[in-house]
Amino acid sequence: MSMFRLDQVLMSTAIAAMIVFAAVSKSEESLNLISLILIWGLFAIGFDLIFGMAGMLSFGHAAMFGAGGYALALLAPQLGFVPSLLVAAVAGAVLAFLLSVFALRVSGLFFSLLTLALAQLVYILASTKLRAFTGGLDGIPGVLRPALFGVDFFNNRNYFYFLVVVFVIGVAIMAVLRVSPFGSALKAVQANDVRAEQIGYHVQRLRQCAFMISGAYAGVSGALLASLMFYVSPQMLHWSTSGDVLIMTLLGGKGTLLGPVLGVAVFEVLKEELSQFTEHWYGILGIVFILCTIFLPKGIAGLFAVFGRIGKGASK
Amino acid sequence: MHRRAFLLSSAGAALSALAPATGVLAADEPADFHIAGILAFSGAYGIIGKDMRQGVELAIADRGGKVLGKPIRVSWEDDETKPQPAVQKATRLLAGGAQMMFGAVGSASTLALQGLADQRKIPLLVTISADDKITRPNGSRYTFRTSNTLGMEIRMCLEFAKVKGLKKIYGVTADYQATRDGWELFASEAKKAGIEIVGNDYAPLGNRDYSVIVDKMAKSDADGIAVMVTGNDAVTFLKQSGQVGLNKTKTQFGPVLQDETLAAAVGPAAVGVYSGVRYHFTVDNPANKKFVEAYRAKYNEWPSSFAGEAYDGISWWLDIVESTKSWDREAWVDAFAKSTRENSLEGKKVMRACDHQAAQVGLWGVVTEGQAPLPPLTMKITDVFDASKLFDVCS
Amino acid sequence: MSTIVIGLSLSFLLFLLAAGLTLIFGMLGVINFAHGALYMLGAYVCYQIVHWTGSFWIGLAFAPLVVAALGAAMEVITLRPVYNRDHIYQLLLTFGFILVIEESVRLIWGLDYKQVPTPALFSQPIALFGSQIPSYRLFIIGFGALVSVLLFLLLDRSRLGMVIRAASSDSEMAQTLGVDVSKVRTAVFALGSGLAALGGVVAAPLVPIELGMGFSVIIDCFVVVIIGGLGNIKGAIFAALLLGMARAAGFTYAPEWVELITFVLLIATLMTRPAGLFSRKGRAA
Repeated sequence: MSMFRLDQVLMSTAIAAMIVFAAVSKSEESLNLISLILIWGLFAIGFDLIFGMAGMLSFGHAAMFGAGGYALALLAPQLGFVPSLLVAAVAGAVLAFLLSVFALRVSGLFFSLLTLALAQLVYILASTKLRAFTGGLDGIPGVLRPALFGVDFFNNRNYFYFLVVVFVIGVAIMAVLRVSPFGSALKAVQANDVRAEQIGYHVQRLRQCAFMISGAYAGVSGALLASLMFYVSPQMLHWSTSGDVLIMTLLGGKGTLLGPVLGVAVFEVLKEELSQFTEHWYGILGIVFILCTIFLPKGIAGLFAVFGRIGKGASK
Repeated sequence: MHRRAFLLSSAGAALSALAPATGVLAADEPADFHIAGILAFSGAYGIIGKDMRQGVELAIADRGGKVLGKPIRVSWEDDETKPQPAVQKATRLLAGGAQMMFGAVGSASTLALQGLADQRKIPLLVTISADDKITRPNGSRYTFRTSNTLGMEIRMCLEFAKVKGLKKIYGVTADYQATRDGWELFASEAKKAGIEIVGNDYAPLGNRDYSVIVDKMAKSDADGIAVMVTGNDAVTFLKQSGQVGLNKTKTQFGPVLQDETLAAAVGPAAVGVYSGVRYHFTVDNPANKKFVEAYRAKYNEWPSSFAGEAYDGISWWLDIVESTKSWDREAWVDAFAKSTRENSLEGKKVMRACDHQAAQVGLWGVVTEGQAPLPPLTMKITDVFDASKLFDVCS
Repeated sequence: MSTIVIGLSLSFLLFLLAAGLTLIFGMLGVINFAHGALYMLGAYVCYQIVHWTGSFWIGLAFAPLVVAALGAAMEVITLRPVYNRDHIYQLLLTFGFILVIEESVRLIWGLDYKQVPTPALFSQPIALFGSQIPSYRLFIIGFGALVSVLLFLLLDRSRLGMVIRAASSDSEMAQTLGVDVSKVRTAVFALGSGLAALGGVVAAPLVPIELGMGFSVIIDCFVVVIIGGLGNIKGAIFAALLLGMARAAGFTYAPEWVELITFVLLIATLMTRPAGLFSRKGRAA
């Protein structure tokens, strides 16, 4: 299987250019924007593992995202940042496991709806019954930044470099996973799960595993976002957050490694830039979605894929 | 603002900083006084953001558009009533060199902005969010609030209940920490005053159907209904209680239950409902009369409480900044914390150094039918409660 | 007893809200996320009609027609090109609709609240079972029952309904038999949009008419549709009844738990009978 398809190279170049631009430019606005893109990009990459590769549409990823954020907010003062970040990953994975125990008993559309219901339940609990821990609808302010090697991570530029490191690690892990036997097994499951079971794959276990990994990514990115904003709130648990990551992944191109990151980038940049030029950015964003659906069936990655058809037949 | 223009101007600023200083002020001063205005301009609170912006723009126009000899520039951004966009946009504006933040509308966004204010040491002026947590002892050094707190408004409810002679109260409360705390405060104080609480129901925030709760209230022997919900929920509740004629036999009141905008949304059922009023255009003092005239001339509408409070707060703040004659933000914070405004639109307001909350009188009113040129449904001020009854002593 | 009457009115309002969503899903396989936005549009158009004519009833008659026409246009221009693609991309499309519709409403009507008064015929409460029941709620019960019967007759007993059901269960076969499947799809989407708007009109005297109203109602719609079974009109009626009564009981005895109860019901349904509590099938997979 070709590892050096031109479209992947182009996409990586685009993303690298974005990172370099933020590093080099004096503008703190770009720094903040690209930090956000890296964080949501990580979230989307993890989401695509189950959405693009395993074919499971989860509407409940906000639960893991928010859980990671809350884990960091609550534990960082005691445990320190990096340990709390690991706890956030574990929290995301554990919550994903719990969700999957319920949700994987049904499949297809009902799986999606059940993830939506379960995540919304988490949101309601966090906003109301568990407000002693979560601060209720007002959230928890004052989330910390890392404290490593004496570097001041409250300086946004330093935190940006930290994010780049975490992002690159995340992408690397996912790249390896996607080409590993595990990744191939997931693709088989998506293509035909009955056949996959017959060949000998433990389909449920594979799905659960993928879900947990995806949850860990969500937890880490939620924690990183909370730290970026110095704030965590139940908004991170709301179904509209699940909707956002889904939209960004679709826009970017599901089933590709870097497509979701491009989707995040386009979404965030559009929101930032449009809102500065016009009051009607909301409606224009809607028109963009509609046009993308009609004209870009494979998302933005599809555009890059046009370059990638060197010597290969029809794409998947 | 174009990124290219920003980069060019910041490059220019960097170069000019290298040039020898022609005077102490020239090298230190920014080219303008840049305010980051983070408000809700879309969604349910969108109308509030629009009114606040109008109030601020009038205040700026009234002082010739300048402070400390430099023009005032406001960058308005929409936080969509969510904390993440609020912090995102504020961060961007602060990175662009804003001197202060103004906002937000929803308390969650304001609380999120406080973290940023403290971290960057940039003052945050709040003129609407009512959550008590925003200004508290040992709270944020850089946050100031010139408008009402929920605690004030709850106390007004209590005073009203006493004055009106209500003996039995049934409450409905939004299931949200601030309103729950508000109800707890009201209930405990009411009991001390000999008022009986015959019931209370917690409804989810954003509840669309109060019919069962209204039915329970109608069947009870309460003479007063305490409505501890705000915004859309207030409109929903009053519309639905109006359909059974609850207002005919019981007095409905609440801390932030009605104003001209919400009354128009409710319709005729709003008449006779009592509420705390944050600011009103009928308040009779020279400063307010002048403001109302100028506002009507410029915008052709009566100033809402959001516009009035915004105008008042930003005028006070800018006057203090002017008085320090310096661009040192710490000096602004210190001066504002000790300041008093004799000619605020609501009379006298005193900034409390202990928690950065302005002590002020509490306006209370009832919805009545208005004769032109007043709006068809308007608030009539029935009581003005003294600050001493509404605020704990500063410790 | 009055709780039961109120519960019935909650139920029929929920049914009116959800009917359009379940119809579009059942017949077209599209999860119309823009359902809430169409509901909102129905309320605003009704407001406008009342503003011009002073009559709620004219609004009730015409607002759904206007929105149905808009729905038909939306379907022809945007949904038709993407039917043969992966259904998941329709999600992106319907999300786009939401943003465009909301922006349009904002442009046309502005940010402030609008108000539709209760129609004069039903503005007084009626004393029943020891309570004052708003007569408008009784109207909702009657009107909702009427609509459910009409829908049921249309889909299960009429020729048009037969054509719709045929086109949805096997569109190629229906096409070869002479059914213009594209037109049927447009008609169904229009009908579903009109029903969403009808829900908006009926709800207008009860709730604030503002830009976020669609957002707040969409989850309820999904709950009814899922519990009733996607595409199952009878199921939707029963699910609405279940949910309405559960809520009425919840508000009577334990109001703070109402939201949780709703979600627990939903989760239980999805886990035990995901095709809907009232479907003929059992577990889906």
